Amino acid sequence: MKRLTTALSRDKADTLLLLGTAVLVLAPHALHVPLWVALLCGATLAWRAAITLRGKRMPPALLLLPLAVAAMAGVQFSYDTLLGKDAGVAMLVLLVAFKMLEMHARRDLFVVIFLCFFLVLTNFFYAQGIGTALLTIASVLLLLATQLSFQFTGAVPPLRVRLAMAGRMLAFAAPIAIVLFVVFPRIHGPLWSMPGDAGGRSGLSDQMAPGQMSNLALSEEPAFRARFFGRPPLQSQLYWRGPVLDFFDGLTWSRGASQASGRDLHLAVGGDALEYEVTLEPSSARWVFALEMPGELPAVPGHRLRISPQFELMATDPLGSRVRYRASSHLDFALQAGPALDDAGRWLLLPYGFNPRALAAGRELRQLGDPMQRVEAVLRQFREQPFQYTLAPPLLGRHTVDEFMYGTRSGFCEHYSGAFVFLMRAAGVPARVVTGYQGGEINPLDGFMTVRQSDAHAWAEVWIAGRGWQRIDPTAAVAPERVRRGLDASVPRPAPFGIEALRGMNPFQGQGKAWMVQLRNAVNAVNNGWNQWVLNYTPERQRAVVRDLQRKLSGWPLVVLPAAVVLALLVLRMVRRRRATHPADALYSTLCKRLGQLGLARAQDEGPSAFAARVDGAADLAPQSRAAASEFLRRYSAWRYAPPAADPRLTATLKSLLSQVR
Amino acid sequence: MAQAAGGLRGRLRRATGAWLPRAGTQDAGEVVLGQRRVFILPTRAGLGFALLLAVLLVGSINYTLGLGFGLTFLALSCALVDMVATYRNLAHLALQQGRGAPVFAGQEAQFELQVFNRTRLARYAIRADFADVREARHVADIAPGSHALLTLAVPTERRGWLAPARVRLSTRFPLGLFNAWSYWRPATRALVYPRPEDGAPALPLRGDDGGSLRAPGHDDFAGVRNYQAGDSPRRLAWRQIARLGGESGALLSKHFEGGGGDELVLDFDALPGTLDLELRLSRLTRWVLDAEGRALPYAFRLGAVRFDAALGAAHQAACLRALALYGIEDAA
Repeated sequence: MKRLTTALSRDKADTLLLLGTAVLVLAPHALHVPLWVALLCGATLAWRAAITLRGKRMPPALLLLPLAVAAMAGVQFSYDTLLGKDAGVAMLVLLVAFKMLEMHARRDLFVVIFLCFFLVLTNFFYAQGIGTALLTIASVLLLLATQLSFQFTGAVPPLRVRLAMAGRMLAFAAPIAIVLFVVFPRIHGPLWSMPGDAGGRSGLSDQMAPGQMSNLALSEEPAFRARFFGRPPLQSQLYWRGPVLDFFDGLTWSRGASQASGRDLHLAVGGDALEYEVTLEPSSARWVFALEMPGELPAVPGHRLRISPQFELMATDPLGSRVRYRASSHLDFALQAGPALDDAGRWLLLPYGFNPRALAAGRELRQLGDPMQRVEAVLRQFREQPFQYTLAPPLLGRHTVDEFMYGTRSGFCEHYSGAFVFLMRAAGVPARVVTGYQGGEINPLDGFMTVRQSDAHAWAEVWIAGRGWQRIDPTAAVAPERVRRGLDASVPRPAPFGIEALRGMNPFQGQGKAWMVQLRNAVNAVNNGWNQWVLNYTPERQRAVVRDLQRKLSGWPLVVLPAAVVLALLVLRMVRRRRATHPADALYSTLCKRLGQLGLARAQDEGPSAFAARVDGAADLAPQSRAAASEFLRRYSAWRYAPPAADPRLTATLKSLLSQVR
Repeated sequence: MAQAAGGLRGRLRRATGAWLPRAGTQDAGEVVLGQRRVFILPTRAGLGFALLLAVLLVGSINYTLGLGFGLTFLALSCALVDMVATYRNLAHLALQQGRGAPVFAGQEAQFELQVFNRTRLARYAIRADFADVREARHVADIAPGSHALLTLAVPTERRGWLAPARVRLSTRFPLGLFNAWSYWRPATRALVYPRPEDGAPALPLRGDDGGSLRAPGHDDFAGVRNYQAGDSPRRLAWRQIARLGGESGALLSKHFEGGGGDELVLDFDALPGTLDLELRLSRLTRWVLDAEGRALPYAFRLGAVRFDAALGAAHQAACLRALALYGIEDAA
């Protein structure tokens, strides 16, 4: 390897370094560009490497131009557009690869390097984890080393030294970058939006059909994180309200058109408000989650929020990026606790020709005078009959409620809540399905509660005259631990790779060993800290941090700090000035000064050799001093005028000689 | 575009020349490139990098990329570090002038420039040339505690003293985003002799009879004498040196005595006054060289300068100097 690099000419070595850098920058993009783009790029870079190693000529523009046009056509074919995020990234990737084949002047080198910088940025569309950050630092290091390598005009130090130079630059740049990151004024995006920018990320949907939620239930992805300013509530109180489903077509529950406005919305709250901060992961949806019930609309930076008559919080635009907001909720509340409901009919609507048995059973319940008794009767049915909680229920046919209630009797939250609401409506009690998340896991390391997609849940609300909408969780009747302790406790998770023996090794298994839980918590805490401080450093957080800094720095530090900075700069300057001179030169001027004090001043135009001759003849100097001084001058002169015979111990020798001159 | 940039660069150079410390004066002795002497501006690549930073920032804002902000600020900081590094790559170098040897007009005058690096910082890709040269022709890497010797060449046209133009040292190292430069006007000058005339008439040798070509003082060998500066090497008495001077190491010259009347006199006033002044000086220059080449002692008359007949490097130098500076006020 070493022989290879020394055998290579400088141009070739530089070009290969540039190729290596491009490979590092392009590699992460291979994960999301179409396969043909990745292959074409690989082939192009390999071609360029072969050209470099064999010293062949670059391909002519007549060949490259049709190739580039064909590649553009390919992008158009793959994405149906040339604009937009993904198509743009694919174009850029191809552009960098092709540009490598069309490099002639120094300017082209800068073009490639700058394009690479931009490609590093576009990689953040797809991943922004800590690993990506480390890869980015490695990429920037290589980019700097490459750019540096092309600037040498004479001897070029080995790659190791150039990497060290680039590393030193990065080390100096990092603190400035961090300060800029914290204090540079942040602006809310987006400034514009391209077609297809919204990512198709998973999240709660506003429809519910059997089998739909089970997808989410298996996803460990966090939906959002919450930090409580005070004691967090009990697990069984953690109902994060999402979409409210009122319309049932026989198979699917969905959000009906909300004809009623929020004017008759009435919420009475009691008790102290619970203050907390939510960091919502990016999703393509518009739902803003809060604990039931938020006393006021939270302010989500960069988005306008509205509240629906069903008390759903949603933004007017999709929340495509991570947002953070403060919210306050009351666990003790009464929603529309009037004597009558204006649009009660809406909450009693049932599809015609579905679930005849359940319909009949509901009608029967009407015999019970108190609506709450009807509720209790159904819940008792869930509890007492052999209902089973499972995430892998059997498929259901046309009459889903009938088949579930009187047949399979196994399912999870959406089966229970759907069947319960159906029965309630049949029994004449206004009812609706509420979806959202239930539970959350507190990480003891940083105190953040993580709510995962697997915590997605569906429950029910019934309206009782005088008491308003009441939350009823029929799932809790069957699997109370689902609500009390979260999903982990209630359902055995699939073993890793389907191998039972590995079950104990899954660090994300709730019942795993203690150190695994700790490891999982640590990983989560680091990830969350990363999200909070790096990825989601919003203008609001920045204002808070700056305010905090100002408060901490108010008063005396305001005077002391600038003074300290000025002092530090002065010291730095002095040190730099000292460092700017070679130690041997510094010692030489010290010697001249000392000899001057001894009455033997060096003339302005006298070199060290001439001075030495004069020192030798100086009678009024002590013989020992004279010998040391002339030895000093001899050595100094030899070093100064006959470089580069570097003597590593020169400074030490000169120092000891200098100490003998007195 | 390139022309506009060149024009801008030229204007900039003139502007900086105007507020340079001690602008226009020469820098005597050793000069250290201190803070006030080093200028720095972004290169075209640097402007491109600024554009890139803007694009990165806008992209980060638009797509709310936390890491994007990180990358943007890291790249910006690297550029700032590069600016300091570029400055430090040039600053605190010490410059000393070397000799400037006399040349004939039409030849290139050579000026030596020594660049000392007395710091612990290795300097790379230091470019140096006269300020009016577009692309510096000299580049040097200077290791810590060492120096580089650069020889800058200027074509000459006119006789007289030639003071070198401002020397411009510059560097773009390490990243090429910034260009740091400094000017230095070395306190040295080179003497430019007149251009020796091509195809000049033969030496004006005249005997008593006014025609015969005889070397003056060449007739009668009158013995040897100690070598004196100005004696032609052709007149060294090698046989006698070998015999007598072998032990003492002294050189001996042959001594001739000839008729004083047929001495070679190179007299400016003897040249036809119709000739152009420069041509006359040019012809005398050629004759001085010819006489030296043929080892003919020659007397020299040029205005107030009158040299008796002699030969040798010192005589030649004195004559050529007088020719170079004839009629130039600063004849010192």
